[in-house]
Amino acid sequence: MKLPVELKQIIAFTKRDFYSWTTYRTAVITQLINVFIGVFSWGVSATYVQKPVQEMYNSDYVSFLVVGIAISNLIMPLAQGIERQLNPWTLETVLMTGIKTPVFVIGNIMWTYIFSVFTFIPYLLIGTYFFGAKLNANIPCVIVAFIISAAILVGLSMISTGLRVVTKATDPITWMINVLQNLLSGVSFPVVYLNTIFFPGFSTISWFLPQTWVYHLCRLAMLTDPSLLNLSTVLEFLKGSAFAIILLPLGYRVLRWGIVRSKREGTLGWY
Amino acid sequence: MNYAIETINLVKRYPTKARRGVRPGPGVHAGRRIDSFGGLFGTIVTRHGAFIEALRGVNLKIKEGEVFGLLGPNGAGKTTLIKILCTLVIHDEGQAYVHGFDVKKQPTEVLKNLQAILPESRGFDWRLTGRQNLEFYALLYSVPDKEAKERIDYLLDFTGLKERADDGYQRYSTGMQRKLLLCRALLRNTPTLLFDEPTAGLDPAAAAEFRSLLRDRLARGEGKTILLSTHNLDEAQDICDRVAILNRGKILACDTPSNIQRLMFDKRTLRVTFIGAVSGEPQEKMLKELKGIAGVNDATPDIGRDNSFQGVSIQGDKDTDLSAILAVIVNKGLKIGGVNTEEPTLEDVFMHLTRRQTE
Repeated sequence: MKLPVELKQIIAFTKRDFYSWTTYRTAVITQLINVFIGVFSWGVSATYVQKPVQEMYNSDYVSFLVVGIAISNLIMPLAQGIERQLNPWTLETVLMTGIKTPVFVIGNIMWTYIFSVFTFIPYLLIGTYFFGAKLNANIPCVIVAFIISAAILVGLSMISTGLRVVTKATDPITWMINVLQNLLSGVSFPVVYLNTIFFPGFSTISWFLPQTWVYHLCRLAMLTDPSLLNLSTVLEFLKGSAFAIILLPLGYRVLRWGIVRSKREGTLGWY
Repeated sequence: MNYAIETINLVKRYPTKARRGVRPGPGVHAGRRIDSFGGLFGTIVTRHGAFIEALRGVNLKIKEGEVFGLLGPNGAGKTTLIKILCTLVIHDEGQAYVHGFDVKKQPTEVLKNLQAILPESRGFDWRLTGRQNLEFYALLYSVPDKEAKERIDYLLDFTGLKERADDGYQRYSTGMQRKLLLCRALLRNTPTLLFDEPTAGLDPAAAAEFRSLLRDRLARGEGKTILLSTHNLDEAQDICDRVAILNRGKILACDTPSNIQRLMFDKRTLRVTFIGAVSGEPQEKMLKELKGIAGVNDATPDIGRDNSFQGVSIQGDKDTDLSAILAVIVNKGLKIGGVNTEEPTLEDVFMHLTRRQTE
């Protein structure tokens, strides 16, 4: 049977995109695994949707979920900010201006972050007025939580960017961090539920993930009306800060390494 | 002597996909080590053992205020050299200095003295106007606000973009985009400018205008040092004080365009055209006989569209006996319509040198 030329042309486009897709080997594998992770994550959420979250935040599930989704909306652009700005046209040119690496990183993130803050508020308003979410926020604590979260995410973002400058596609480490976030950091269910799903003590792993602390500190600040004078609250914030203190310099180092390696290999302008 | 740019035995190798066990071809070395993870995890020996040598011991000295052309075919190493000088590629061996600053150790100082125009690295936001794009880069270059405004106005005027300065970048023609690149490179008013294929993709009029801008206003008017890479030999001859011919990562010749032409000064090309077209066996014999004459290096037929033999080009020494050449042609029963002798052009030298190295 002779195929019409238009159909052959559509097939040619499809084949071209397929071949291009398969050249990003890491991305292919991670995309396929992401499908299963997504199904698992939402499956767990659906299972526990009606259960209370008293254990952790003395709140109800709707409030917990609304804050989680709002934070997710706030932090995701932050983590993706630099990556989205990376392309062969800009990186070489910006580096030739001689600006400092932290300025490059923060500069590329800032607008996305400001925009996210604006969209963060409607999330909370809709959640509160239409879905009955109850916020019990302490403003100074919210500010501190946001600062620590931003520092953690800038660190992660620099790591991701540094690796991406070298791999030119999704890097396995960033992908792993994102997978673990979806599975274990409690975006849509409290991490303590992991003990029920897997085995007692499993949720301990979550507390080694920086993203868990981003969600935890923000929820703590917005759902439990904590006080910065309360020792247990301060302790939680200090634990979160430890991640920021480690990740910021590490991220800086990895980004510098990525750029230097790329300059050595002459691939800075490749994407 | 102060040099704007100086390179000493500059070597750059790029890793290649060739695996161990593959015999390295020309310019490829197996089993090198590369630094990895910037010392965080120490040095790692990669599984990929082969590297391509993009630059093989390049030595250059470019004086302040000089317009220097880098000539070479594709893959000669021109872009690599330019990117090393503007700190975007790190070299493996040798040294490179820009106004005395080491490109590897003092990149910040280097970038204060040099700007590059790399056509592929536009870095402009398509939705912003030309002026907004320049204002953004002026901030990145830390140019003070007042100075930046004056400088942007001056540069837009200088390049003839003033009328279109507030149009979106996406509405700019290729020539205007190239001019905006030039404006950006001049924002910091650095003494040295690098251009990688500055007129590639421009129409002849725009290319001529751009060349005039480089030669008359930047080089002669403002005394800037200019290093440009090009395939265009006429362009190099037109605007460069000196040129270097680069091929396969090596400098084959470096001098003024006229001195480089003199490299083949003892050579000339003789073009003989025939009356009436010829074909068939006699031409092969005749070419053989011509090549056998003392002082003749090569003889190539000039073939017409109808595949007819219309003439012959003979490359040889300047003192070759022309009567012997003409005698061979006449003896074959051919009628000579015209004889022209041509001095070698820069292009002839370029072809001669690059072909010789390839052979």
